Amino acid sequence: MMKPALCLLIFFCVIFLLPPATVNAQQQPNIKISFINYAGNQPLVPDSLYANCWKENYSVSRLKYYISNIALQTSNQKWNAEQNSYHLVDESDSLSKNFSFYLPSGNYTTLSFLIGVDSLKNVSGAQTGALDPLNSMFWTWNSGYIMFKMEGTSPQSAAVNNKIEYHIGGFSGVDNAVKKIRLQLAGIPVAINNKSITEIIIRANIDKLWNAATVLKITETPVCTIPGPLAGRIAANYTTMFDVLKIVQR
Amino acid sequence: MKIKITISLLLIVLMASAFIPHQPPHKLTYLKLVIPKGWPQPPTNIFATNPLTEEGFQLGRKLFYDARLSRDSNFSCAGCHQQFAAFATYDHDFSHGFNNSFTTRNAPGLFNIAWQKELHWDGGVNHIEVQPLSPFTAANEMATTLPEILKKLKADTAYARLFKNAFADGMINSQHMLKALAQFTGSIQSYNSKYDKVKRGEDSFTVSEALGYKTFMASCNSCHREPLFTDNSFRNNGLPLNKKWMDKGRMTITGNLADSLKFKVPSLRNISLTFPYMHDGRVVSLGKVIDHYRNSIDTAQPTLDMLLKKRIAISDQEKVDLISFLLTLKDDVLTHDPRFKQPN
Ligand code: HEC
Ligand code: HEC
Repeated sequence: MMKPALCLLIFFCVIFLLPPATVNAQQQPNIKISFINYAGNQPLVPDSLYANCWKENYSVSRLKYYISNIALQTSNQKWNAEQNSYHLVDESDSLSKNFSFYLPSGNYTTLSFLIGVDSLKNVSGAQTGALDPLNSMFWTWNSGYIMFKMEGTSPQSAAVNNKIEYHIGGFSGVDNAVKKIRLQLAGIPVAINNKSITEIIIRANIDKLWNAATVLKITETPVCTIPGPLAGRIAANYTTMFDVLKIVQR
Repeated sequence: MKIKITISLLLIVLMASAFIPHQPPHKLTYLKLVIPKGWPQPPTNIFATNPLTEEGFQLGRKLFYDARLSRDSNFSCAGCHQQFAAFATYDHDFSHGFNNSFTTRNAPGLFNIAWQKELHWDGGVNHIEVQPLSPFTAANEMATTLPEILKKLKADTAYARLFKNAFADGMINSQHMLKALAQFTGSIQSYNSKYDKVKRGEDSFTVSEALGYKTFMASCNSCHREPLFTDNSFRNNGLPLNKKWMDKGRMTITGNLADSLKFKVPSLRNISLTFPYMHDGRVVSLGKVIDHYRNSIDTAQPTLDMLLKKRIAISDQEKVDLISFLLTLKDDVLTHDPRFKQPN
């Protein structure tokens, strides 16, 4: 008679006293995505002088862009996505340039992400974290995120104080500045498991801004701070800015 | 037997303790937006990701009236949006902002925002929660920054308490501040004018008001559609371009030439309180507004609304009656509602 009661007691103890944390324990991150900004062949050094392919000199004082909706595809064609995947890569903040998360074990072949913030988050009100308007990446006069921001100077710029200022945004229509990037993982497939951390290092080469899908010359357009055709063209250029520099496993 | 009772008691205590959470639950008083009888549903639920609560509303209310949010502590939201003027700036074409500056547009009244899809005269703001970013940061309005505002809020114990009441984690951050402000401004509703009472059978129009209502339905209702007195579209009602500001309205946002000189059709509720009129406050009285539609619509404009190509024929008597009707749209309940007054 006593035994079943005791069993019950123990049963309830276990049920009620289990800390909830163990139930929804976070999976350990096993993948790290890192961005290194480049200007041509070398890593970007803020405020140092570079020349673009049009022989225009420029320096960059500020470079920030959104990377969102990261997903990786397995060799069985299955996409696994990072949850709540919104990151602001800021050249001046080394911590902002890499992020880790958990991926189910598997062999992966392709990495995809958006440069910019998906349209839904542009119309869903006040956000927090990387999307906090505190980050100065949100337009107040025409609601929406600035997807990509590069500021600096150039002797060739006719703008005030020889500024160059590219605030690229707009999340709909033909001039949509949100671009999907897909990168093949070199030496594929890359085996991702729970025992090691795989780091994918991505090069973001701003040299591509000046000449890729379209021509961008500082003498002609030193400033772009509204959504529209020019922003759309610059966005088409930054689509080509990314490649996988290397993949490291440890 | 004794052991059995002890164990049973233990069990009961244990089970009961399972229902007592380790932290007291965060108590919130949920509120509901009123959807007056006969009104359409709001196009989207502006409170879908921002549950409307008394606690959030009260925090928003304090923020709305707090001039310290501006750079020099002179300009609150309420400074430009005055309750007695249905939350427009009373008797100003442009409102005063930081450092003796003026806004470049007329401050509209704030009510029934839950029924709007886009905010501002050009529809540039796509969500009520992000709207305050515009007055906060505009050099001719509150001229401040989010970090500045948050610093002030964090230094104030009254705010610490209000944020704790309104949000489970009690964090003072931009998201919570913006959501609280949206709860306040989104709750301001106007549905108790004489017109509404007549519709509900609680009052009746005078002869002149009734005739004016007829004229209104024939000439104005296609754009200023009842019961909201706007259809939320962007249209050109034939005002010449303001040469000082070169304000092209909707085109600023869409970049589309076909949107040149189109502005949001404003609600005509509380219209007798929100003079002067139009996006730049250039028309001083309702009589002059009607004269515009009768006599001075610029019919040469390519984007002029189809409905106004021939202007609107309104006789002098119809004008008098139309104005009587428009005066019935004044909502004294809104302008006197203690819930929307400056908090103590
Ligand atoms: C200096 C005066 C001023 C201040 C301060 C100000 N506003 Fe406004 N408000 C305006 C003007 C002018 C407009 C119209 C802007 C436009 O259409 O471009 C406006 C528009 C709005 C609208 C959109 C209404 C509609 O129908 O489209 C809302 C909502 C609003 N304000 C809320 C606020 C809140 C909340 C604050 C405080 C954080 C605030 N305002 C502070 C002048 C002001
Ligand atoms: C074709 C659509 C259309 C019709 C028809 C129309 N309006 Fe308007 N009305 C507008 C638009 C658009 C504005 C805003 C224009 C601007 O600010 O540039 C406006 C502005 C107003 C305003 C100023 C409101 C404010 O808050 O500043 C009043 C008053 C007004 N209309 C009254 C009327 C009356 C009365 C009639 C009928 C005789 C009428 N309208 C017919 C489109 C229309």
